[in-house]
Amino acid sequence: MAGGTDTTDTFESVDWEETGSRLSTLSRRDRGALVAGLAIVAAFLYDYLLLPASRPTITVPVEWNVTQLDWLFVTTLLALLFYVAVPLYDNRRLTAYYWREFKKNRMAVLSLAYLLVVFCIGVVGPILLEKPTLALDQAYQPPAYLSVDSTVPVNCLGDVVDGRCQGTMAHPLGTTGDGKDILVLVVYGMQVSMKVGLISTLLVVTIGTAVGTVAAYGSGLVDELLMRYVDIQLVFPAFFLYLLLTYLFGGSLFMFIVIFGLTGWGSIARLVRSEALQRAEEEYITAARSAGAGTLYVIRRHLVPNVSNSVITAATLLIPGFILFEASLSFLSLGDPTVPSWGQVIANGRSDLSTAWWVSTFPGVFLFTTILAFNFMGDALRDALDPRQET
Amino acid sequence: MTEPLLTIRDLRTVFHTDEGLVRAVDGVSFDVGRGETVCLVGESGSGKTVTGESITRLIRTPPGDIAGGEIVFDGRDLTTLSDDELRELRGDRIAHVFQNPQGALNPVYTVGWQIVEAIQLHQDVTRATARERGIDLLDRVGIPEATRRFDDYPHEFSGGMKQRVSLAMALATNPDLLIADEPTTALDVTIQNQILRLLSELQAEFDMSILLITHDLGVVAEVADRVVVMYAGKVMERGGVFDVFERPSHPYTRALLDCLPGRGTGGARSIGGKLPPPTDPPDGCRFHPRCEHAVDACRAGEQPPAYPVDGDDDHVVSCVHYEPGGDPSVVRGEEAAPTDGGRPVGGDTEEDDR
Repeated sequence: MAGGTDTTDTFESVDWEETGSRLSTLSRRDRGALVAGLAIVAAFLYDYLLLPASRPTITVPVEWNVTQLDWLFVTTLLALLFYVAVPLYDNRRLTAYYWREFKKNRMAVLSLAYLLVVFCIGVVGPILLEKPTLALDQAYQPPAYLSVDSTVPVNCLGDVVDGRCQGTMAHPLGTTGDGKDILVLVVYGMQVSMKVGLISTLLVVTIGTAVGTVAAYGSGLVDELLMRYVDIQLVFPAFFLYLLLTYLFGGSLFMFIVIFGLTGWGSIARLVRSEALQRAEEEYITAARSAGAGTLYVIRRHLVPNVSNSVITAATLLIPGFILFEASLSFLSLGDPTVPSWGQVIANGRSDLSTAWWVSTFPGVFLFTTILAFNFMGDALRDALDPRQET
Repeated sequence: MTEPLLTIRDLRTVFHTDEGLVRAVDGVSFDVGRGETVCLVGESGSGKTVTGESITRLIRTPPGDIAGGEIVFDGRDLTTLSDDELRELRGDRIAHVFQNPQGALNPVYTVGWQIVEAIQLHQDVTRATARERGIDLLDRVGIPEATRRFDDYPHEFSGGMKQRVSLAMALATNPDLLIADEPTTALDVTIQNQILRLLSELQAEFDMSILLITHDLGVVAEVADRVVVMYAGKVMERGGVFDVFERPSHPYTRALLDCLPGRGTGGARSIGGKLPPPTDPPDGCRFHPRCEHAVDACRAGEQPPAYPVDGDDDHVVSCVHYEPGGDPSVVRGEEAAPTDGGRPVGGDTEEDDR
């Protein structure tokens, strides 16, 4: 990241000269985010233009050929860091207050812990674990501590006791009909789900919030144009666009995320607008204008933070929607065939349900609990952040 | 007399609404001298706030629109400035304090953050300097333990304390003109007094002019140098505070003063009737439907021009009884016949229209 420090210096000096005191309207956090964003763009261009496609981007400490989707994911994680983690750390007292409120819901705390585990394993796991490959000689191994009729696996890796093949710790959750380890598939699926849920939601939330607040604050013609466009977009069948592109180019997770992320923000924009309309009438907005703040500044620093509570709540309930949607498309073989998503594994195992129940069941359980956890967390967040809706 | 800091001439602010054109401010003129406190009084809906917000064009356009007039601030006509130029003035040379201290502070930021923001929007200073300055200001407006409270959120302050914080924010850049829109209305009487005293102290210390918008004549008597009485978007009477209180000349001013408890003989009186509909104001004097001294001349044509009272150009009144050759004693009944008490009685009803 030697280029990163260079950009910091140039960026800051240019900004000071050109806009003088206006720089103060960019907070330290915004500047940090901007620098990190520029660094990512630079790294992406380096990878995309200079490195041959087949060469892995990083070889130390692990070999990792960063894909388009990975770049998006890294950007998303940075955005979460700068606009969720850093503010939480900066306002420790408020964070402590929210945590006290959040803690009242025990299921939500449990859900949060579970999701953090899924998130961490999902982010790190696939980098460390070898991608599961076809190994027909290891097909249909039962999960550890369980057994199955020895006729089911082609070649039982464990002991055969009383005509039943015992599972081994080599494959704790068993293997699929292709001989792929289900635990590894589940870990890969975690990353897929996190990518789908987080990237799409970030796209939706960013665009929706921007459009909603600008429409509410701009009022008049701006409002009219933006919201009529939202109306049109809400009736646009993004699903068919996705089907068409899948038909033409083959399914890809990147396409799924981009299409549904870029077309799914209509309802968030409406939600944000209705909330922002109310906030825009508050006296502190007039007070900020009377202090000499410009339109964009008022929107960014006064309007957006005041609608963020309902946005965050809505976002936590959007994430499971995207994950479930991706799983259903994969189940219908409309997903990305190269990506081992949970939906795809469930679909692969469904013909073997009578003999090898574990193939579909384990990814299914993870899908179920993940979505449940997001919903629990969303409810608790709403109670903590937005107490008005409680009654 | 030196040139006033702010001169408003024939200001007209209208709102385009579904019900029609609302002339919220209709030909208002007055001056604010340097270091002076001018009070804008009138009942709710008379256009005081819109006048205050028109000065730096804080009204939302659309639906609002400054349809005419001049606002000359320190030699520059604000109505001709671009939005960017105005923004430079706002908060820097002209600051606002608002009525509702609960609403004027953004709940998601600490008060310190908001004061620093007010400073940094106009001055190129480091965060540390701005912070020091902010703590100083908080201390100056009477927040105890300013250093500790600097990082508190607005909900951790009482109403009076919040208003002090708003004041600190307004003073952050040492403005020449402070427009205070009913700064004490939402506060109880003891706090109200403290804030008013603070305002006077700060005015002397910062050497600024104050345009105080209020409906409370008690407040006016306490702090004003000069008074502008507004009714339904028009200026009814304008003059030095002693002139207006000693010799209230417009029937509306007199009626307003009669609303004060303990003045005159009996208790408080209300003004009968109510404000005319803003989309369809009456012809002639805006106040004539509620005025007991109304004559035919009041009911037709335009609002009467500003006539000097007793030949004093600094105390003017918009009432036909004061035109040259007219007979002001019709209005000032008590001077002609003091036994009568001369209190103007409202219209037919005694209903309180607040």
